[in-house]
Amino acid sequence: MPSGGNRFRPIEGEAISSGPGTDGFHLASPEPIASVAPTPRKRASDPVGTADRLRAEAGRRIAEALAGAPSPGAVGDGYGGWVAAREAATCPARYRGEGGRGWGFPGWSPPLAGGACGRAALAHHIAEADRSGRRATLPMPLDAIRVWMRALRAPGETGDGRTPPVERSGVGDWVCEVWDAGDSATLAAVAALAGRWLAGFVRVLGWPLPPGLTLLNAPGPAAVSTLRWRPDKASPVTVACGADARLGRVTGAGGFALVVHRVTTGDDDALRDRAAFEAAAATLAIGVAPDSVLTTAGDTGERVTVPVDDDLLALGTERVVTVVAQRVVAVERGFDPTDATPSRACRHCDHLADCPAGEAWMRVAERWRGGLPVL
Amino acid sequence: MVEGLGDVLARPPQPPSPDGIAALRTALDAGARAARAVGGWSQEEPLRLSKHVVTGLLRCPRRALSDDQGAGGDDVVVGWVVDAAAKLAAVSPRRHVTVDAAVAFLSALGDGTVAEHLADLGPAGERLTSDAAARINRLTASLAGVDAGWWPRVEDPVRAALAGGAVTVAGRIDVLLGGPPTGRPGVIVEVKGGRWHDGMRADGHLYALLVALRDGEVPASAVTIVSDGTTHVEHMRPALLEHAAERLDEAMRVAARLAAGEPPAMLPGAHCGHCPVRPDCPAGRAWRPPGDVAVSAP
Repeated sequence: MPSGGNRFRPIEGEAISSGPGTDGFHLASPEPIASVAPTPRKRASDPVGTADRLRAEAGRRIAEALAGAPSPGAVGDGYGGWVAAREAATCPARYRGEGGRGWGFPGWSPPLAGGACGRAALAHHIAEADRSGRRATLPMPLDAIRVWMRALRAPGETGDGRTPPVERSGVGDWVCEVWDAGDSATLAAVAALAGRWLAGFVRVLGWPLPPGLTLLNAPGPAAVSTLRWRPDKASPVTVACGADARLGRVTGAGGFALVVHRVTTGDDDALRDRAAFEAAAATLAIGVAPDSVLTTAGDTGERVTVPVDDDLLALGTERVVTVVAQRVVAVERGFDPTDATPSRACRHCDHLADCPAGEAWMRVAERWRGGLPVL
Repeated sequence: MVEGLGDVLARPPQPPSPDGIAALRTALDAGARAARAVGGWSQEEPLRLSKHVVTGLLRCPRRALSDDQGAGGDDVVVGWVVDAAAKLAAVSPRRHVTVDAAVAFLSALGDGTVAEHLADLGPAGERLTSDAAARINRLTASLAGVDAGWWPRVEDPVRAALAGGAVTVAGRIDVLLGGPPTGRPGVIVEVKGGRWHDGMRADGHLYALLVALRDGEVPASAVTIVSDGTTHVEHMRPALLEHAAERLDEAMRVAARLAAGEPPAMLPGAHCGHCPVRPDCPAGRAWRPPGDVAVSAP
């Protein structure tokens, strides 16, 4: 077996990473998930105080990182979510090299909008049931998506806008634009992907949804629209939590969990990293540390609870600060292979031809495919 | 009377008991751990199995390891169009799916390969599109208008991680109907763009196994809809799941030996006819279809 570098590369069209495997995981269960019990490990005994300290530390370290920029406005506005955190941690050189083109929001597309539309449709389904005073029925995914899409285009109850204020969202506005343009292919693709998200989410979490579940990053009265944090009003940095839901009410005693649903586990094999980032981002945004992060996987049906403790929050904060630090470095030094970290991402890297470490890795990796030698 | 998807959905059979699923997982995990010991995979660098790799390893390891996995010729492109059309029919309220709609659907999903291929062909692509249109008409009728209560999902991802993640088996089911939490039995629909052959059954069996491992319930049926007009319905029973698990176990064994450096066996057969590495394969070159007599000059 060759040594050095990662000898494996993904099979085209298949999942590109393994996830943590079956050890210690649970198969999806039809029983609702109970509210998260406090964990006996190094759980923060004072969730509010922990959040205060985290905000102070993250704010200080972000300010220190920004102070390294050649001029105060040189970095520009920076939006730090999980994708940026993963990219910056995986290969700093590649992340810097993406520049403004790669760091910014690329615009909605069906693959990007699937989760957001699925959450919005589910939130709309729940809100409609709440308005009528009845329990929400099991949503049929494609129907739920279509009902939500139609609601987007329904006349507003309160104003002159076409969309009721309660339903407005960035992704909803985009769907309206697509509809107006008569782009039925894109609408069908959105319905397919959003329906898949919704179906997987409900399947893994069970129906009725667990008691105390509130959707996050979704519009409407049955959800929380965004979870973001800025170190201060003047800071160019925004940290965004990408969790899909919250289990339990936010109180000063903590007692709630984040839910992160992944349609496939092929997009990252750093489950603990993901939990750490979302826990830190939520703590910064909410001002209270969660007890745990429940990560679910649509493709395996697995549910993994990662307890939130000081170590996890420290890891998450590190990921947040790394994004800012690399953005600062990028002002004067974009792609620079000296700190390139080869991985499977090299296969799709625009800078591969300029990266000796990446090319060396690829020379080994190309001799293997999905764990098998290539002849 | 030939059974079709509509018949299955109108009168779904009782799925097998889930009692054997835990034992199948345990056996597969043991097999994966044994293979890992030989193949040297890890969670970070796993063996990644798909339906194509499993079939390839069992059919001809030499072909499975080939760097040349075959180019996407017109037949392959037609298959992609047909596949997309079937998925569009499953998620769209429309009754009639055209080639243009299927290609646009693929592009909207982020796969512009077919649109580019057709653009490159220009007017010469008309034969391809008319071929695809004929196949689409035969195939999509049964998928359009499926009751929403079946929760039609396209490209539903399914994956099993074995041996602590050192071996993964993954796939995307073309169309998945029912299953938890719908209250209806699961029905796997595999769409095939070419001509029916018996080897297609194995894909449905493998996906039924993976869905059972994921959901804790065995799907009731696997339905293979082929663009030549064939619909093959197979109601799941424990023996089929066990057979799928045995194939998977054997594929892991083969993969382990290959990863450890053993030369791949060359197993000639009907697949040699369209194998891209046949010119370099003595066994493949020597193989002839049954009844085919080599003629040599006097």
